[in-house]
Amino acid sequence: MSWRSIGIVYRKELIDSLRDRRTVISMIVIPVLAMPLLTVGIGYLSVSLIARARREVSRIMVLGGADSPGVVDALRGTEKIELAPESPDFATQLENKQIRAAVEIPPGFEAALKGSDSPTVTIFYYEDETRSDIAVERLNAFFNHLKGATVQQRLVAHDLPPGLAQPFEILSKNAVSPEKLFGNRFGAIIPYFIILLCMTGAMYPAMDLTAGEKERGTMETILCSPVPRTGLVIGKFLMVLTASLATAALALVSMAFSVVVVLQSKGVLDGPEGLRMAVHATSVFGVFAMILPIAMLMSLVMLTISLFAKSFREAQSYLSPMTIVVIFPAIFSMLPGVELNAKTALVPILNTSLVSKEILAGTFHWNYIVLIFASTCVYAALAMVAAVRMFNREEVLFRN
Amino acid sequence: MAPEPLIEVRDLCKYFRTFHRREGIWGGIQNLFVRDYRMVKAVDNINFTIERGEMVGYIGPNGAGKSTTIKMLTGILVPSSGEIAVNGFVPYRQRRQYVNTIGVVFGQRTQLWWDIAVVESFKLLRRIYGVSQRDFDARMEQFNVILGIKDYLHTPVRKLSLGERMRCDLAAALLHNPPLLFLDEPTIGLDVVAKDHIRHFLHAINREFQTTVLLTTHDLDDIEELCRRIVIIDHGRLLYDGPLERLKRKLLRTKQVKFVLKDRAQADGVQIFSSDGLNLEQVDEMTYRIRFDPAQISTSDLIRQILATVEVRDLLIEDEPIEEIVKRIYAGEALREITA
Repeated sequence: MSWRSIGIVYRKELIDSLRDRRTVISMIVIPVLAMPLLTVGIGYLSVSLIARARREVSRIMVLGGADSPGVVDALRGTEKIELAPESPDFATQLENKQIRAAVEIPPGFEAALKGSDSPTVTIFYYEDETRSDIAVERLNAFFNHLKGATVQQRLVAHDLPPGLAQPFEILSKNAVSPEKLFGNRFGAIIPYFIILLCMTGAMYPAMDLTAGEKERGTMETILCSPVPRTGLVIGKFLMVLTASLATAALALVSMAFSVVVVLQSKGVLDGPEGLRMAVHATSVFGVFAMILPIAMLMSLVMLTISLFAKSFREAQSYLSPMTIVVIFPAIFSMLPGVELNAKTALVPILNTSLVSKEILAGTFHWNYIVLIFASTCVYAALAMVAAVRMFNREEVLFRN
Repeated sequence: MAPEPLIEVRDLCKYFRTFHRREGIWGGIQNLFVRDYRMVKAVDNINFTIERGEMVGYIGPNGAGKSTTIKMLTGILVPSSGEIAVNGFVPYRQRRQYVNTIGVVFGQRTQLWWDIAVVESFKLLRRIYGVSQRDFDARMEQFNVILGIKDYLHTPVRKLSLGERMRCDLAAALLHNPPLLFLDEPTIGLDVVAKDHIRHFLHAINREFQTTVLLTTHDLDDIEELCRRIVIIDHGRLLYDGPLERLKRKLLRTKQVKFVLKDRAQADGVQIFSSDGLNLEQVDEMTYRIRFDPAQISTSDLIRQILATVEVRDLLIEDEPIEEIVKRIYAGEALREITA
């Protein structure tokens, strides 16, 4: 085996892939266009949809309250609240979204406020429905305000100081660095995205360079050339790895660019109240360094599995379940309580997700970083041995 | 002293383990849990030698074991047993050094990369085979003269016609000037003109460079035009190895007379030749062919009878086409005669 023959195979596969529209779409077009559309686009859309919902008036039904006209009138006069006529079928109306919430005012509510009773106001709503949640928020604000005013009136009525019911204030302030904030908020989801992108980027070339080549019949011709089998495997592997890393890198750059553009256009990044999150370039490079062995492992596993397939379609049906195998540990790493330890550091994908989360937060656990990097490299080396063996087995190369 | 053979094949066998699928739904379920494997003898105890400069046709019906033999001879497959020596190498053991001395063209596949320009494939192959730039340029010039490939060197392979692609494939296979060329169905799917081009080229390289050619084909015109010797295999076993002429002599049972009538009025008279062991066929409106057994009626007698019955403008006597002979061999009818 020589670097020359590896270089030749790599060059050949690269030229061939770059001229193949399908590879270019999966390697360049999808990450550059689709990923920002999927993430930033959908995020932007959901934010604007919520903003629109907030601009709308909430239609609310008051149940009872005939003997509390002051409260009902105050509610009617509240901004962005509109009252619907009382009806016994309020639950059906809620389900049909004709009203967004219903509030039950108990009999003698107003009278009770003047005394010292504690009546209960019940709010009925449609759980997890955005417009209903907004209505509940508005009702809570109204009744909390009413509660505060009532307490003040009661204190005054008993000649007590207004501060009696409020012995102290609570103020919560973030004390961690912007890097930690970023790591905590996005540290889990970003490695998940990168790993997934590495896999999707590698999938098409892995199938095309093995099963696709078998299907086109060009495998025999390359096997007839003086290129050694190991050189052939490494050349093909390097091409798959290139596609994998290029897809992930392009998608990230494109996503980061879109996020900055969108936030800047909204003025979120300006002034002292600007986005209080940050990420260091060292962390980004660190994450990519940790992704490298896992991308190698995934590329080799996919190359080996696809080689076993007789056709591109068969390779697709073999590789589709692999998506679940990759996604599961990545999602597992996002669950609360799952942390980096000596055991999780040896589980591929899970270890990379967990360590990347820490790195993005600016924490470098060097012992784990070394262990994860080394163990994943060992797995990749084993996968390479398996791939070379497969390329040397004629019952795999000429399965029919 | 007899010349040293370029290809030497001794007791060559190749067995494949194949999965036997059971039929029906229950069979399908059984297939998932209990795999029934069977051994198939793709090549069964084959022996032959090929001398330097020979052009040999390697023929047989589909599934006979032709491509498996070629794959073993090119070092892609390892024989189950037996010996192969080609150009002084054992192909599957010394594959890397060995493949520098051979050229291979698989007619249904291409070694040129589909989406890239032909010339880029040639450049890559130049690097793979370590051909110097000077030799490369000289050979490209030569191929252009014989194959006329200059016009589509910058076209992606997928845009070439089958004939153009095959010319480029041949050029690619010979870029490193190998003394031996394996061709697996080189004229498959080509039109008459393209086939003629390819055959002309093969003749030229065989004549000029003494290139030894072993070709498998289903087109027996290829064999008649190119090879003096044929090797016939079926079910992995060798049925015949020898000169094409000898095969014809041994198996030639019938001859045929083809004649063109002077005018349409003569057509009714021809029907008299559709009996008495004669086989009459109408080729086109005015042309007829009578196939006959020379042991039953002499050629001169038949011609005399034809000329006495109808007026003809042209008349031609031909041997039985090679296709008919091979068809009989494949059907097992002629096996005893050729092995005798």
